[in-house]
Amino acid sequence: MAAHLPYEYIYLRYKKKFPHVWCPGCGIGIVMGSIIRAVDFMKWNMNDILLVSGIGCTSRMPVYLDFNTLHTTHGRALAFGTGAKLANPSLKVIAVMGDGDALAIGGNHLIHSARRNIEITTIVVNNNNYGMTGGQFSPTTPVGALTTTTPYGMMEPVFDICSLAGGAGAVYVGRSTVFHVMELDKIIAGALSKDGFSLVEVMSPCPTNYGRANRIGDAVKMMESLQENTVTIAQAEKLSPEQREGKIVRGVFVDRDDNEGYTSRYGKLCAKAAEEVSRREVH
Amino acid sequence: MSEKPDAGLGAKLKKAQYPEPKVTSVHIFPEWCKGCGICAAFCPKQVIEMGKDQKAHVVYPERCVRCYMCARRCPDFAVSVYGPVRDRGGGTGGEAKDGEK
Repeated sequence: MAAHLPYEYIYLRYKKKFPHVWCPGCGIGIVMGSIIRAVDFMKWNMNDILLVSGIGCTSRMPVYLDFNTLHTTHGRALAFGTGAKLANPSLKVIAVMGDGDALAIGGNHLIHSARRNIEITTIVVNNNNYGMTGGQFSPTTPVGALTTTTPYGMMEPVFDICSLAGGAGAVYVGRSTVFHVMELDKIIAGALSKDGFSLVEVMSPCPTNYGRANRIGDAVKMMESLQENTVTIAQAEKLSPEQREGKIVRGVFVDRDDNEGYTSRYGKLCAKAAEEVSRREVH
Repeated sequence: MSEKPDAGLGAKLKKAQYPEPKVTSVHIFPEWCKGCGICAAFCPKQVIEMGKDQKAHVVYPERCVRCYMCARRCPDFAVSVYGPVRDRGGGTGGEAKDGEK
């Protein structure tokens, strides 16, 4: 069996849990493969990695990946991840979340983790709706899109995840799609290599709920629409404002080194406090 | 120091060092395949086709140029491509065009 599987299978719980539960054509499996290749590229040991998730389609990922895993309550992946990182700073924490999980239910955890600059790599898989519960609208559903709970079209504007995280203080923010897998591998590897809060938004198709409700078509049509509707940062600069309308820009938006990580600042604070206490005891 | 070899010679040397593979094997693991059709749709050489049983099938393995796009885009980890390892320098499907003989 193993001879007929791609090399990524060594990171999977392939004997117990496969085939996985995601729908045919769902992009979360592609994101999982990208995370495996990025971890493989970083040459990290599986036992040094903690994968945290909340609730949702994306948050099924810890079931299949053979790292240390933590499957927590809805939206609280970053809260649990912060606790684990502070208790054991040598752990490499990766949080995987869906768009509703990260932005609606766990929105405050996201912005405050970015503000603290805790060393967690966050992967937000954006499929434009709540897939697991039947296709309700989420903070990233585009204006006018049809979902189960917006039968006449979505009226609220969307959250721009990358601008939100970059504004809140993340040191590395990137966006890619599951169609552009090579780029996605590189961006996730770049996020893993940063010492601070890094966030990668991955655009992913949901053919069962979102694609069917909006009559986009099957998984292949949704992948093609990802190819047509996205441009790189360099391409976007060349386009006129009319041409750029409706296009999603992908690439690395924030990559800075000036912000110190939370655990190193916490270690310094602990040392300072211990020094203070010992001085008081002497006098 | 001798003068630099011309570009044509360098390309020939590179080709001799990394010859085009004679045999490449593409495997579909049918128990895990869910029949989404992504591998067949985005293969630049139409190596894979969808069968009537809602599974992907390898029909022209000799056409494969090992761009690995089917294996990387398979959400179910059902496609694997094996062949002599060669660094394509982050190549995509577009680079594979000159691979066909």
